[in-house]
Amino acid sequence: MSEIRKLTLAYLGLMALLALTVGSSFIDLGGFNPALNLAFAAAKAGIIAILFMHLARTEPLARLAVAAAGLWLAILFGLTLAGQATGGI
Amino acid sequence: MTGSVESVAFDTRHREQAADTFGMWVFIGSEAMLFGSIMLVFLIAHISYGPAFAAASKHLSLTLGTVNTAVLITSSFAMALAHLLSTARRWRDAALALTATALLGIVFLAIKGSEYAMEFHEGIAPVLGAPFTFDGPDPVHAQLFFSLYFAMTALHGLHLIGGIAVVGWLLAFWRRTGPASRGRRVQAVGLYWHFVDVVWVFLFPVLYLIDR
Repeated sequence: MSEIRKLTLAYLGLMALLALTVGSSFIDLGGFNPALNLAFAAAKAGIIAILFMHLARTEPLARLAVAAAGLWLAILFGLTLAGQATGGI
Repeated sequence: MTGSVESVAFDTRHREQAADTFGMWVFIGSEAMLFGSIMLVFLIAHISYGPAFAAASKHLSLTLGTVNTAVLITSSFAMALAHLLSTARRWRDAALALTATALLGIVFLAIKGSEYAMEFHEGIAPVLGAPFTFDGPDPVHAQLFFSLYFAMTALHGLHLIGGIAVVGWLLAFWRRTGPASRGRRVQAVGLYWHFVDVVWVFLFPVLYLIDR
């Protein structure tokens, strides 16, 4: 697939996900709306990282930097939310 | 090959490019920590004061937020095209795509600015000493929502202003920049631009779509 076609499809996919994000917010899914919103946001971030930022094709060292950031964020969110859930905060 | 490196620190263009990319991703990782922390503060406050945050969020303009998300995604698409065109050495088209990127960034800021103006007018902007009046339930924690909203969107806006400035600088020196440096600079500023877009992609549902 030509590169320009790939970028155009990524763009259309992002716009479709935006429409789904806004559209789904008008449907009451109980407690699932926030989770769905975050899932759509993560899907958009994935498309941008892989197709616009070429993360999959980049140097292993750069991917390691991203993995490190993800690990620290997971620790930050994980421990804080665990503290919150157990009434520590 | 050796003649086209920008810094004397590198033997080959490939190594210089690899260092650029790695440096940008480390920088983006540190930026992710910054935005991640403030989003975590928001998340904890949201868990603690859910009803107040839901009532406050309804005062944001979903239409303008949605349009702005579309504008920023389009700017990222233009930036991705600029990178593609610069790798194909179509310099004129790459410069046009960069110009479109910066202009869309300015459109985003203009829409954001008009939203801020509306919020100041409505009295729900508890920043810069402006009066805060909120007639919903729990105005104290609604004020916390708006304080965090302004902190997060302003921090994002500052990053976008930085991005627009760098793209402007790149374009101002476009003719005087060698082909190898042009490609590398477009790639580096492109990574930053896409990251700022990703931040907004998370801010939009988190701020605008609470219990719609």
